[in-house]
Amino acid sequence: MLAQVLFSGLALGSIYGLVALGFTVVFKATEVFNFAQGMLVVCGAFFAVTAISLLGLPFGLSLVFIVVAAATLGILIHRVLIQPLSGQSMLSVIMLTIALSIVMRAVIEITFGPQGRTLATPLPTGVFLLGELRISQLHLVAALVSWFCMGLFGAFFKFTPIGLLMRATADNHEAALVCGVNVNLMNRLAWAIGAVLAAVGGLFLGQLQLASNDLESIGLLALPAVVIGGMQSIPGAIIGGLLVGLIEQLSASYISPKASDIFIYILLILILLIRPWGLFGQKELGRV
Amino acid sequence: MYKTRNLTKSCLNTALASALALLTSHVFSFEAPLDGVDSDRIDWGVMMDLSGPTSASQGIWVNGFQDHMRKVNETGGVYGRKINVLTEDSRFNAATDKVNFEKLLTQTPVLGISGLGTSGAQVALAPAIKSGKVPIVATYTTTKALSEPVSPMVYGGFCGYKQMAKTGIGYFADKLKLKAPKVMTVHIESAGGVEYAEMVNETVTKLGGTARSVSMKVTAADVTPQVLEILAFKPDFVTVYGVSNTSILTAKVMHQYGLKTPIFGISYLGAPQIFTALGPDAGANYFFVSCFTPGGSDASPGNKTLVEFADKYNHSAIKEDINYVAGWVAAQIVTEALLKTGKEPTRAKLVEAMNKGFSVDTKGLSAPIVFTKDDHTGPSILKTFNYDYASKKFKPFGDYADYMKYLK
Repeated sequence: MLAQVLFSGLALGSIYGLVALGFTVVFKATEVFNFAQGMLVVCGAFFAVTAISLLGLPFGLSLVFIVVAAATLGILIHRVLIQPLSGQSMLSVIMLTIALSIVMRAVIEITFGPQGRTLATPLPTGVFLLGELRISQLHLVAALVSWFCMGLFGAFFKFTPIGLLMRATADNHEAALVCGVNVNLMNRLAWAIGAVLAAVGGLFLGQLQLASNDLESIGLLALPAVVIGGMQSIPGAIIGGLLVGLIEQLSASYISPKASDIFIYILLILILLIRPWGLFGQKELGRV
Repeated sequence: MYKTRNLTKSCLNTALASALALLTSHVFSFEAPLDGVDSDRIDWGVMMDLSGPTSASQGIWVNGFQDHMRKVNETGGVYGRKINVLTEDSRFNAATDKVNFEKLLTQTPVLGISGLGTSGAQVALAPAIKSGKVPIVATYTTTKALSEPVSPMVYGGFCGYKQMAKTGIGYFADKLKLKAPKVMTVHIESAGGVEYAEMVNETVTKLGGTARSVSMKVTAADVTPQVLEILAFKPDFVTVYGVSNTSILTAKVMHQYGLKTPIFGISYLGAPQIFTALGPDAGANYFFVSCFTPGGSDASPGNKTLVEFADKYNHSAIKEDINYVAGWVAAQIVTEALLKTGKEPTRAKLVEAMNKGFSVDTKGLSAPIVFTKDDHTGPSILKTFNYDYASKKFKPFGDYADYMKYLK
């Protein structure tokens, strides 16, 4: 039983890690604590519904549609809402992201109706056996794709010129500006990446159950993942996601489903009290 | 002095004229009739969640209710009066419902109210309702606070959880020829879920069997821990209480574990998208119990009429949804009650007529609904349904009459 629970925890944690990674990319670039990240997960699920069920696109083309739509949404959010608020207090920006999530929820309900929608994808739904371990093919695919995306963006940030520019901009906006970097473009790119990562998470979560606004609360589990792992740490977001997935499944198995909330948020509180920069974040030192 | 006297007189005249104008304007302005009954219309209230967490199901119920009333109005209404449905959104909030109730009581008074889908609101408003202000006819869900003891002011419109538990357990115990069934309840962590699990336990114990329950979060993304408990317990069948997600995850993960154990969901989990999400393999083992027949699943006259009007009013996509049928039947209950009341209805006359007892023939959409002086439950006979993926229609098992034995 333990092996089974660990596998499902890691698989789920991979999806949380993916969404958390998107959150971290946005925070690192623009220092915005994006409370609308959960709704970006929902948008991803409904982009999938639009592409597959409504437009009837082949699956490959649907994936392109989802990525392009999510990226466009991320860019729009930054251009129209976040960029005008640059220089404003963090509270104003946080309130904006909360308001944005409420608006997005209402728009989705008006457009698609309040009932959940089924996602009919060619993703595998079977299971294969590894000894006594039953491995859900969908969970495995979700975990593999999540890790692939994380690896891809990790490589993008580390080895590509644009990735380097984004890292430079995230480290120091003013210095990047002085060096002639288009800071707004870099920030927009960060939001696009954050939205795409959330959308991929939404595709898998929507396939696991239904595409509905209820996915927002699952997507918001990325927030404790990010805080636990380290808000500015990309490896931290991934590890944080895995930890949240494992804690959730272990506590649901051995104590009760409600206990998972207790353990996840107690860990978050402890991290904030003892090591507020997270497990893999860096302590910020300021000169006076 | 002369000028001052004239000024005072002028002010008095102005004041008098204003008062007169106010009075006359009030006489000629729109006035809501006291009991919601006007010369050409009857105002009827509906209080349901249209934008909150349960709007997915309650909104559809409202569609069914409104569509049936549109149909009634197309043929002239009730005794020449059209039914004007005033819908108030509760947002699944008891406080909001309290405000809505007061509004329907006095500001835009209605003859009666249907729905009341927020259980918290039912508990909060039960004393006010039972004190005789406005009757509640055809509730979406019923709490003990509102339904016990039987009140002349309250009439149910949906089968209760007890009936769902008894029917499902009785049916599967018979179908699988079980003498002492082992039943697992999977439920969301809510008061209703715990209550349902207790009802299942009670029913199973009476049959000499054993029952266990396991809970899950409403927003769970995985139920491996719950299914591992099912694997350990090895139940003869499983019952599910919750939202669509509860059924989908439970059935899918059970299927992944190679379990072919039958699962039956409560009536609210008889949605087409659940079966679509499960697919034919996992969906073959998933059933639900319902006191309403999904639109299009049989050729009864009531079903044909519902389908015809659902298509006419652009609600083809939801005609199969149990909630739509429930709303339609609720409106049938209201219409029948109004017919019984007579040509000049008032709240008092409506209550008097209903309290004497009345029945509603839904022509196949449900078992005949009978209200007596001592029983205001409403629809209480259920049957089991499954889904035929080939014809994309719900498949009933037997007739409602076959299931009456499970409710004794």
